Amino acid sequence: MPAKKRTTRIGNWYKADDEKVHFIRKRKAPRPSSLRKINPGQVLILLAGRFQGKRVVFLKQLKSGLLLVTGPFKINGVPLKRVNQAYVIPTSTKVDIKGVDASKIEDEYFKRTQAQRRKNEQGFWAKRGELNEEQQTNEKKRLEEKRKTQKSIDDALIATVKKTALLKQYLGARFSIGKTTRPHDLIF
Amino acid sequence: MKGQADQKKEATKTVKKVRTTNKSAPVRLWVKAAFTGFRRSKVQQNENQALLKIQHVEDVASSRFYWGKRVAYIYKAHTLKSNTKFRTIWGRISRSHGANGVVIARFGRNLPPRAIGSTLRVFLYPNRA
Repeated sequence: MPAKKRTTRIGNWYKADDEKVHFIRKRKAPRPSSLRKINPGQVLILLAGRFQGKRVVFLKQLKSGLLLVTGPFKINGVPLKRVNQAYVIPTSTKVDIKGVDASKIEDEYFKRTQAQRRKNEQGFWAKRGELNEEQQTNEKKRLEEKRKTQKSIDDALIATVKKTALLKQYLGARFSIGKTTRPHDLIF
Repeated sequence: MKGQADQKKEATKTVKKVRTTNKSAPVRLWVKAAFTGFRRSKVQQNENQALLKIQHVEDVASSRFYWGKRVAYIYKAHTLKSNTKFRTIWGRISRSHGANGVVIARFGRNLPPRAIGSTLRVFLYPNRA
């Protein structure tokens, strides 16, 4: 009988034993961490980073699991920002975020553009960081859009914040550990 | 005479205000802890485990708050690395030790013995809420 023509290549190596299949991870996308006792509108204290100690308002949890927060920017200089739950202390203070529409903001909003990534190039690649006319106008547009989004979210928030006494000053103040502060005893 | 008047006018020209950096009081988001030594018996010590006495923590129940928190030993060196002369060794608080709030921390690289008696920074993150 004529041999069937082989369609796949035969390698040089034949394994003596059956191949052991390594552990195959079935879950491709990371599972977003569950929200621990943090509700929209709650005031959080940032524990690390440039804005450490600042009190910010929590808006919603993004699909990646990170928390979307805003200062509001005019009050304490914190813009729309993503924060990890573990780097935040939730407080019992709540702000009503009924008029605030953060539904359009997702993780893509925070993705760096090519122009941003190339901004700090040095040496041989420095030319890539320089923007031509079109890229400059695009950057300007992008920043304008950002300012608009920030303003649209913050305006409703600031109006609510102003209604409660001292809340604006509270959000503007930073949390700090003093000489006698015992964080393990504090009830936030 | 005229020249002097002109000069005075120029001297009193207002200086454009330069944006200054943030002048608010420094903010501390870490708790002081004294590195009292390595975990040891009388004649033998384990350098992988550092004993930390956290300020104002006097019992085991209070020390539980600090489990998992990150700790940093910050020291100065002579040469610049990553644009700074400050260097850190990072670690985490792994467990309590004894009944009086002392805590054991394990570091990425073991602490140098000269750090004994120095103040380490215990941060409030990761917050286990």
